[in-house]
Amino acid sequence: MAHRPRSLDELDSLALSTSGDVTYVAGATDLMVKPEHWKSAVNLVDLTSIGELTTMLQADGGGLLIGAAVPLSRLMCDPVVCERYPLLVEACAQIGSVQIQNRATLGGNIANASPAGDSLPVLSVYDAELHLGPRQSGAFTKARITDVMRGPGLTSLGRRYIAFIRLPEVEANGQFRYFRKVGQRYSLAISKLSLAVLGWREGDRLRDIRICAGSVSPVVQRAEKTEALLRGQLLSDELIAKAARRLSEEVSPISDIRSSESYRRHICGAVLADALHTIRTGGLKPP
Amino acid sequence: MLIEFTVNGQNVRLNLPPTRRLLDVLRDDLGLIGTKEGCGRGECGSCTVLLNGARVNSCLVPALQLPGSRVTTIEGLREWPVFERIAEAFIENGSVQCGLCIPGYVMSTVAVLDETAEQATSEEIRRALAGNLCRCTGYDKVLRAVEDLFEEPELRRRITEILERER
Repeated sequence: MAHRPRSLDELDSLALSTSGDVTYVAGATDLMVKPEHWKSAVNLVDLTSIGELTTMLQADGGGLLIGAAVPLSRLMCDPVVCERYPLLVEACAQIGSVQIQNRATLGGNIANASPAGDSLPVLSVYDAELHLGPRQSGAFTKARITDVMRGPGLTSLGRRYIAFIRLPEVEANGQFRYFRKVGQRYSLAISKLSLAVLGWREGDRLRDIRICAGSVSPVVQRAEKTEALLRGQLLSDELIAKAARRLSEEVSPISDIRSSESYRRHICGAVLADALHTIRTGGLKPP
Repeated sequence: MLIEFTVNGQNVRLNLPPTRRLLDVLRDDLGLIGTKEGCGRGECGSCTVLLNGARVNSCLVPALQLPGSRVTTIEGLREWPVFERIAEAFIENGSVQCGLCIPGYVMSTVAVLDETAEQATSEEIRRALAGNLCRCTGYDKVLRAVEDLFEEPELRRRITEILERER
């Protein structure tokens, strides 16, 4: 069976009434590359047929509410996203190719739960809040990426769907930011590492910093120990070296077809050091 | 499921499994074999078509999402008034060797000529074409054809006009 619900109400009643597995489909770019799963999928539910899930709105209480089925290419040319969440544009530009970006979605990147999902480190440093359906008493369940992602390809979603990704407002004053993907080539390469850094300076100090590395842990999560080491500190060569070492230790990469554990640890520290050196010399300022 | 959509301007009504790939619908159900299958997993771009005016890999579009959409394949593009000039540029530059990737490249070329900023550098054009792989030419000859076309603002304007009608 396949369904193309036209409204959130219709989607919720499908989610609640359908028995057996449900496969929610947005851009299908990850689903269809696994033909054995794809061909045996029962109860396909299209999310792109629902207007709300393919639009972006100003969120109540500030920030941006992004429909989980908005294609990445639309995010990338949205003036609000470009101005306020440029790290997201940078990350999306390195996902697949334009052909993929015209189809792929943030909802899919999260639900696919790949440790190498390139939007995930950026969504983490922007403190993204996920709105999960079906709604209960009219309200979506709010969750963090770390609540949803349980391991490579594993989520706690079950029959729930991702409806929206809310990005809170980000303070512009003193902000610096950084995104770097390390892969075999720019396009269509699965990352060996992706690193997102977002923070704020106050004078010469790092008032706050958020760091998230992708492809180096089973789940994408913030590097809290490294963040704690840097928060409130003055950047020095010594501190940068220490933070790079801390991040290398804090991550838990594996060796696989794309890279080795030791290379991933090394490059993690090296890329963070590069970001911090640039911040120290006053770089990575928002325009 | 019964699916109605448009292919190259013609209405199509087919009974299809929802998981069927657009690529198979085009080649096997409609006989439009200009669209090629390379990798079948969204990496090579050989099966690129326009879906509602945006280039996509047809191996990764399920029939489920086709109702009401507009698909343009290389066969449809042949009828566009700009096609001859694009073909000419590929021929002049010797961009075609085995040819398997070329329908996908031509579809991407049209999209690149529309979406890439006027002052785009060679590097940016190269990047915009990075979703299409070619195992024969070493890319330079394809890139040169696209760069030649890029120098023709009138052609780009006409392409943008056609694509706007597709969206």
